[in-house]
Amino acid sequence: MKTALIGGIGNVLLGDDGVGPYVLRLLDSQYAFGDNVKLVDLGTPALDLTHQIVGLEAVILVDSVASDDPAGTIALYRKDDIVRDVPAERLDPHSPALSECLLTAEMLGASPKSLLLVGIAGETFEPGSPLSAPVQQSVAQAIDSVLAELDRLGFSYQKRLLPNEPGIWWREISASDPHPLI
Amino acid sequence: MAKRITIDPITRIEGHLRIDVEVDNNAVSNAWASCTMWRGIEKILRGRDPRDAWLFTQRFCGVCTTVHAMASVRSVEDALKLEVPLNAQYIRNLILIAHALHDHIVHFYQLSALDWVDVLQIPKADPAATSKLAESLSPWTRNSRNELKAAQDRVNAVAASGQLGIFANGYWGHPAMRLSPDVNLLAFSHYVQALEYQRKALQVVGLLGGKTPHIQNLTVGGVANAIDLDSPSALGMTQLATIRTLLEEVVQFVQQVYFVDVCAVAAMYPEWFKIGSGVRNYLAVPDLPLDSRGSSYDLPGGYIRGGDIAGAKTFQTAADPAFRQGVTEDVMHAYYQGEKPLHPWQGETEPAFTGWDAEQKYSWVKAPRFNGEPMQVGPLAQVLVGYAQGHALTKKYAGLAIEKVAAIGGIRVTPDMLHSTLGRHAARAIRACMLAELAQKHLQLLTDNIAKGDYTVYNAPVLPTHEVEGVGTHEAPRGTLSHWVVIKDQKIKNYQAVVPSTWNASPRDKAGAHGPYEASLLHTPLTRPEEPLEVLRTVHSFDPCMACACHAFEPSGRKIGVAKIL
Repeated sequence: MKTALIGGIGNVLLGDDGVGPYVLRLLDSQYAFGDNVKLVDLGTPALDLTHQIVGLEAVILVDSVASDDPAGTIALYRKDDIVRDVPAERLDPHSPALSECLLTAEMLGASPKSLLLVGIAGETFEPGSPLSAPVQQSVAQAIDSVLAELDRLGFSYQKRLLPNEPGIWWREISASDPHPLI
Repeated sequence: MAKRITIDPITRIEGHLRIDVEVDNNAVSNAWASCTMWRGIEKILRGRDPRDAWLFTQRFCGVCTTVHAMASVRSVEDALKLEVPLNAQYIRNLILIAHALHDHIVHFYQLSALDWVDVLQIPKADPAATSKLAESLSPWTRNSRNELKAAQDRVNAVAASGQLGIFANGYWGHPAMRLSPDVNLLAFSHYVQALEYQRKALQVVGLLGGKTPHIQNLTVGGVANAIDLDSPSALGMTQLATIRTLLEEVVQFVQQVYFVDVCAVAAMYPEWFKIGSGVRNYLAVPDLPLDSRGSSYDLPGGYIRGGDIAGAKTFQTAADPAFRQGVTEDVMHAYYQGEKPLHPWQGETEPAFTGWDAEQKYSWVKAPRFNGEPMQVGPLAQVLVGYAQGHALTKKYAGLAIEKVAAIGGIRVTPDMLHSTLGRHAARAIRACMLAELAQKHLQLLTDNIAKGDYTVYNAPVLPTHEVEGVGTHEAPRGTLSHWVVIKDQKIKNYQAVVPSTWNASPRDKAGAHGPYEASLLHTPLTRPEEPLEVLRTVHSFDPCMACACHAFEPSGRKIGVAKIL
């Protein structure tokens, strides 16, 4: 069976870096997917990402992007864009490692057949910040990008008649919180 | 005249740890370890319900999610004087062990083996001869000529593509690389196999924790696993059997492959038993509790000063008063406001960025101190403390390591030689073997306890209205982790995490004492200062983790860090 992973990457505690997991939860709450599509909040997985992507037909990742584009700009990247630069020697070996994980999968002969990274240019990465307004506004477009890729690859999904609760737990705070997230 | 070399993640290295060394006559004469990004995540926790803290702390780090979750629930349980039922202790212990085994395997093969193994020598190897060599070292069944040939073919394929792919940018052909082509091939074949076994260890974490990378089964007072012997979806006979099978495979890999490979590398690079010592104060906390109160443990804790193994002191419990009272953090050379060292319960995290200045402030890492002194943490600390206490399991695997290194290289390793770069690798392999054996023990303890009819997994917490303080510790893969919480009016008033890499990557303190990374680099010989492979060998031996709390993909093809936790 052809299988696909939709993964949200990023740290939910650090402002726009959390947009990947945020988009993932909205997708999960609004759409129903077949058993061959797995949705995972990957957090900041470093090298363990390899285990999530090896041998799959399709991988779709949603992540924040550090770029010169205005915040909220969505750019799409394919495998070649990600592995174009060879990884530098790493002093801190646990750093985020999308290119390393893809290259490891390639070395194993088990690189996913297709890979799409939906990159959203971020603005603020402060601990405890909410998503910036431009990034929040780009979320619907990011969801559309993911769905368009599923369409292209022939994976089916259905819009839920009644969306589930998305479970954005890191925003659920008490009124007395001195560092409100919303 | 000393020459300054900066190994900086911003310029040529992905990551957030920066090392500056001064090199004089081809040896390191001074060193600075710094973290280039701000950590301030703890402030998010203030005002929250302490029972929810672990969900947030689990996101501190993408690599060690479970350890921060565990230390957090333990800190609140300590503050509330809450006991944890036996089943919950065993389930937690199994998760911690599986995570640690995964981490130690990843560390050796994926993160540091290629400091010692020259991949580009592999095409010259003879798979048949390599297989014969492997059979003389270990009973591992996956050292056949065919398996080794397949590994060699992988390297050939990557090399033939004209680009080196995952192997780009290693110090291949460096004169400090000295293994034969056959040994390089053997180690590389295990590098590939290691990916399979680390995945199996993660599956154990996922089965018990509900999900990976973020487990969901924790709760203050225990765990949320449903125990039902007959249900395949709950924790019952089916799941326990699956876990047993997975663990057996991981245990074999650790004991027959990882342990042997570390002994072989040690036997072939014996000069690295004399390099990389540095801070000889060691600190470890007891872990893997065996009862609900946490009064006896399977892993030993304590501390050693100045390399005096005979004079080691013991921590009786994971929150021993000596530990609770002894920890402070100094910010003299860190980008934070404040004058005097503070105990974590009084800890502050107010940034005061100045830019990198060798004489003044140069790191986002605070300088943790125990009784005022820098301490080295990690598997070496735990093995030395255990050895000093005559801990049976430590002595068993330390003895086996000594025998193996002697058999391969004819070298007699003494405890004193463990204060070194190789000592850290050897201790991690010894600890992995101990954990492998303990994984099976704790699975049996859990199975037996359930079989007795005890299905309890949870004691309900009661939050007092008066102010309480707690510390939760865990002897994590990189060493002693402690979370410190102050609770008032049922809310978090203060929260500080003192993490292993903060101890080891610590900058100088008020007295000018180097942190462990810094001290370990002093006097390191560099064959080619422009290719500081030797610096990487020593820094990597600590298993550094300035883990990416935050990162964004950089369109040129690299992830860049934006903020981080240590």
